[in-house]
Amino acid sequence: MDKFIEAFTNVDAAYVNVYQQILRYCLPLLVGVLLFLCIKPLLTFRREPEIWAWLILEDQRRLAITHWESVIGRNKRSDVVINMPAVSRNHAVLTRYDDGSWTIADADSKAGVLVNGEKVSIAELEPEDEIDIGGVKMKLLPISRRQEIKLAQLRTKGARPLHSLLNVLLLTWIQILMCSSYLLVGNEAYAYNVFWGFTGITVSQWVLLAFYFAIRKPSFEIETIAFLLCTLGMAAIAAVKPGEASKQLIAMYMGMALFLGVGWSLRDLERAKKIRYIAAAAGVGFLLITLLFGKTYNGARNWLIIGGMSFQLSELSKVCFVFVGASTMDRIVNRRNLILFIAYTLAICGCLAVMNDFGTALIFFVAFLLIAYMRSGSVGTLALACTSLGFAGVIALKFKPHAMQRFTGWRHIWEDPTGAGWQQTRALMCIASGGLFGMGAGRGWMKNNFAADSDVVIATLAEEWGLLVVLMLIGCIIVLGLFAVRSAAVQRSSFFAIGGCTAAGILLVQTILNALGTVDVLPLTGVTFPFVSNGGSSMIGAWGLLAFVKAADTRQSASFAVRQSKEGRPDDE
Amino acid sequence: MNKVVGRAKIMLLLILILAAGSVFFVGEYLFQAETWVMSAGSPHVYNQNAGCGLITDRDNIPLLDTTNDRVYTENAVLRKAIIHWLGDREGNISAPLLSHYADKVANFDIISGVYNYGGVGGQVTLSLSAELQIAALEAMGDKKGTVAVYNYKTGEILCAVSTPAFDPDNLPDIAGDTTGQWNGAYVNRFMKSTYIPGSIFKIVTAAAALETIPDIQQQTFTCNGETIYNEAAGDKVTCLGKHGTISFQEALTYSCNCAFAQIADQLGGETLQRYAEQFQITQSISFDGMTTVEGNITAAGEAPVMVAWSAIGQHKDLINPCQYLTFMGVIAGDGVGVEPHLVNEISGGSWKSYAAKSVSTGRLMSVDTAKTLQEMMRANVENYYGDENFAGLTVCAKSGTAEVGGGQKPNAMFCGFATDEDYPLAFIVVVEEGGSGRRTCIPILQQVLAACKEAMDEF
Repeated sequence: MDKFIEAFTNVDAAYVNVYQQILRYCLPLLVGVLLFLCIKPLLTFRREPEIWAWLILEDQRRLAITHWESVIGRNKRSDVVINMPAVSRNHAVLTRYDDGSWTIADADSKAGVLVNGEKVSIAELEPEDEIDIGGVKMKLLPISRRQEIKLAQLRTKGARPLHSLLNVLLLTWIQILMCSSYLLVGNEAYAYNVFWGFTGITVSQWVLLAFYFAIRKPSFEIETIAFLLCTLGMAAIAAVKPGEASKQLIAMYMGMALFLGVGWSLRDLERAKKIRYIAAAAGVGFLLITLLFGKTYNGARNWLIIGGMSFQLSELSKVCFVFVGASTMDRIVNRRNLILFIAYTLAICGCLAVMNDFGTALIFFVAFLLIAYMRSGSVGTLALACTSLGFAGVIALKFKPHAMQRFTGWRHIWEDPTGAGWQQTRALMCIASGGLFGMGAGRGWMKNNFAADSDVVIATLAEEWGLLVVLMLIGCIIVLGLFAVRSAAVQRSSFFAIGGCTAAGILLVQTILNALGTVDVLPLTGVTFPFVSNGGSSMIGAWGLLAFVKAADTRQSASFAVRQSKEGRPDDE
Repeated sequence: MNKVVGRAKIMLLLILILAAGSVFFVGEYLFQAETWVMSAGSPHVYNQNAGCGLITDRDNIPLLDTTNDRVYTENAVLRKAIIHWLGDREGNISAPLLSHYADKVANFDIISGVYNYGGVGGQVTLSLSAELQIAALEAMGDKKGTVAVYNYKTGEILCAVSTPAFDPDNLPDIAGDTTGQWNGAYVNRFMKSTYIPGSIFKIVTAAAALETIPDIQQQTFTCNGETIYNEAAGDKVTCLGKHGTISFQEALTYSCNCAFAQIADQLGGETLQRYAEQFQITQSISFDGMTTVEGNITAAGEAPVMVAWSAIGQHKDLINPCQYLTFMGVIAGDGVGVEPHLVNEISGGSWKSYAAKSVSTGRLMSVDTAKTLQEMMRANVENYYGDENFAGLTVCAKSGTAEVGGGQKPNAMFCGFATDEDYPLAFIVVVEEGGSGRRTCIPILQQVLAACKEAMDEF
């Protein structure tokens, strides 16, 4: 192995030049092809409504139940609309469970819900049970097992093993090309770190794929996108701090473990609902621990040093926050739960404000807005929340001139290019120097800059690999967001819809703040680019969030985080 | 569930922000990337505020490499010879050449950025010849002044040195100097100095006379050492000799002040002024990001004696060596000159991004006048300066000995051109406090022209 790596570092410069010249055009092409292959199935799967049961009224009219969680009420946007005066706007919630059983729950309605003449707050429904909602009598008729099988067969199939295999092969090829490029031009002293940094990613993606094959859930598009982002992140580390490659790799492994763990817990909704409470405690707990024992770097007291390793536990709190915010329909229709959630958010943001970590607080706030809107649909609540944020922001800026400086410099970076605008003007110069195809591995200058592998990482990557690649990285995150929105329609529970969207939303907000901040479209906030920026905690947190996106992938046999009943898997028969 | 699904679309807002922000940035990139790259301090374009790249002489001999830091040529004499064009590390000598062409050296485009194959930087190839710069510097010796030669057909400056010159890699103690040895060491005299021209200005007066006085070549003039304008006030023009009755041609050859005072009387101040301006003596020239200082003449509306002094290159006359060299090119070019330039071509990595083009001055003088002046200046050499001094070239020239006052020795001036088809060279020599233009400048020019001829045989 020594000789192998040594051979790389001793290649004649003339060959290296030819290699770089070819690679600078090939890489965007390969990345583009890979992304296309991953994006297409994620954005084209079928999501027509699926009928799971019928509500049969007294006059034999049939109302289709198209979700596992359905609100019955007078409201036009209810899943089942019964327009009768005695029926409340949101009257009851009908829920289906993994085992095929159904419950009905009263949603604080005026008239209440009667099952077989008895007033209930929640009741499991047996066949032939008579339900009375505001005087309207009905019976639930679930579809038959045979129909369920048909339904499952109609659902878009997950990726075929060969498709996933080809994607990972292509990604491996990209990794080999990028790694050799850095070995050819890089510092010999760090050749090992660079080699093992890239190889570590390659190995882990193959191991994960093998695991997926073993459990017969071979869809790998979302993971491929994440591994691609990690690969580009490794490129930035190879350029800026090759010595930290192994550290980042370990963080990635920890992130993957969290990804599998969170994914596993989301597999069973009842289990996930229980874990919510632990997550809620952990989310605040992480921040409190940081607050008590944390160290201050660059103005924010958000670092925890354990055994020589530094952690930003607030990154893990994000994952917890999604757990807390995601909710099933029967809870959503109850207003008290939202108030509790607002209180929880205030606690989190309060901790972050004391820690002086306003960038992270902003991310939590946007996540809160997403959750609050999806749960309440109330624009008024959001307006109120935004206004209060505005006030909080003004006060924060008044007391923290450090943060104010970022805003005064915004869109004025060229007025003080050697002072306040230094980082961003250098970023723009370097991005422009790289053009669409980049200067080549290791030939950038941005690496000499502060936070070149984290806050302004896209400038480092654009300089060495070109603007096209960076735009594709941004595209990756956009695709995850689009997928979350699209898949919301076919979720078994609003828990997964809200969870998937919020997780993707946090990834989006981080990308917005990081990428647009670097190029001065927005103020620079020092937020990380998910999976790409060098930073262990951020890497772990990003994988944790990705689990929620993965849990929203309801295609046939696509996601380990989605349990499908045996009947729903015709390939098992 | 319907509601949640519908509300999930709020995510599209975030996606829209990211997409719109990215598109906005790409738009900014398309329109402003070049400005960003060319901003001061841009790492791939500038190094210590000079453009990055290699500067060579016309034969690709490296003069200065600014890719990393400033690395000058290993030849110490050559370092001195080029210091006024390429600047020093301390910024005492401003050399805007590199920053002026930074975009060409970087060769930016929005597709490829400033990428160069193999990371090779750009190259600026000057019109200067390293060996001629050395020859010129050595010919100047320890004299202060400037000597320059340019090709009046192409505009290429083959050599131009300014002395005193110092070695940027071996700095003398200029600030602590009390001997005056380093006076004006930071000034590029060729571009940034003006001199009282003395008798070399008589070419301008002669040209004005040829253009406006029909029988000027048939006239004769009387010289008895001085021409008196106002005895009482002491207004007179003095001559270095008593030339007796002489022709127009002889007046120029022997540089007779009295004869030219009489010509000035006929011309009048306004006409002299007009022609000096027409010949662009009073203007500056700009090329390759550098601009010369302007010359001056104050003849219009002056008393006759002052007009006469003006006509012989004294009074308030000032010329810039580079500008006057171009004027020599105008005469050699039958009334149409070519503006000088220093940069022949620039390559940004693998591609040639700039090639110098000859810039015409336009017609400044009639063909007849130019041709007559050529003959007259040729006669100067044949009859007075001696053809043997000019390396076998067919040289037309005029010397000057410019009184500067203040108890200083006069400045020695010499300018002219060769009419040989293969050696279209115009030249100027200025030696401060050099005394006689003829005696001081011709030996310098002799060495430089010989070197030029030899070098051109090899081009």
